Amino acid sequence: MRQLTEDETKTLFSKLANYTGRSLNALVTSVDDPSSNDRYVFRLHGSRVYYMRLSLANLATSIPRANLLSLGICVGKFTKTGKFRIHVTALEVIAPHARYKVWIKQNGEMPFMYGGNVVKAHIGRWSEDCPEHQGVVVFNMDDTPLGFGVTARSTAETRKLDPTAITVFRQADIGEYLREEDTLFTT
Amino acid sequence: MAPTKPSKDSKKSSKPLSSSSKVSKNKDAKRPPPKEVKAKARTEPSLLKKKQKREYTEEELDLPKLNMITPAGVVKPKGKKKGKKFVDDAEGMMTIMAMVNADKEGQIESKMMKARQLEEIRQARIKEQEARQAQKKSKLDNAKESIRNKKRKSDDKEDSKSKSTTEDSSSKKGKRKSVAFA
Repeated sequence: MRQLTEDETKTLFSKLANYTGRSLNALVTSVDDPSSNDRYVFRLHGSRVYYMRLSLANLATSIPRANLLSLGICVGKFTKTGKFRIHVTALEVIAPHARYKVWIKQNGEMPFMYGGNVVKAHIGRWSEDCPEHQGVVVFNMDDTPLGFGVTARSTAETRKLDPTAITVFRQADIGEYLREEDTLFTT
Repeated sequence: MAPTKPSKDSKKSSKPLSSSSKVSKNKDAKRPPPKEVKAKARTEPSLLKKKQKREYTEEELDLPKLNMITPAGVVKPKGKKKGKKFVDDAEGMMTIMAMVNADKEGQIESKMMKARQLEEIRQARIKEQEARQAQKKSKLDNAKESIRNKKRKSDDKEDSKSKSTTEDSSSKKGKRKSVAFA
């Protein structure tokens, strides 16, 4: 387990910034207890990036690398070409800081959780002024984050679409916890 | 014109030439006697000393990079840290995040601007199309109206004509009858 290099940090942040606004800064600066010297850090283990408290990362140094499976929150993994692939486990990290949001109706929840894209008929409401191909976080009407994806069209264009047209391409959804149970945490 | 003897003037003009040559001779006489210049021997110590040639640095020579001994990309700057450069302090992360955020916001802004412009163009095109259609429709209506009016007018005329003709015929017939049976 090691810290991220400058390039890796940049790649990671630019990926996260697809879904979040300026409040992403809170990820780095946020501290649970201001009196302690603790803060949140990113650590690379294998090709995976984990988000955790510094104290936890320090504790983890006592565990042999081969024996350490996972710690903190897995944000995603670096591909061999150096790109970053964000995982559904990062939803918890990005959902509170989301820039653009899409709320889907009850009848759209199951299709989305089974890995389908979001069609216009299932959308309850959405953030205004969202450009196309922009990362969005998908919520249900009770504000529970269900996953994230990218918009197929801008909000202005979506209004003119027919109800069966795809508006958000799915990238990750919480259904993966069940569907990909076997492979989600393997390296 | 017949050829004439050369005038005195021409003689005079020739004289100064000779005099000038004389003058020049005089000047030669005034010059200091030529000094003998000795050719320096090749073994002369001053000649034997090599002149310092200007040495060019590699940058000045402007050689193509691939032509050098170390191939491009392999050159490693001296005195710098080997290996990966980690970012672990919050400040470094914040600077990177600020850069990334600024980048992303610029991208989103430009996307929005582009989308807005495209939308405007689309709206304008739709308006234009609607206006054109309305114009076409009005033209068609006008044409229809004019045709209807023409028909009405012609009908009226025909009616009046037919009425008049019937009246005429009846009157004629009456007259005839009266004439015939008178």
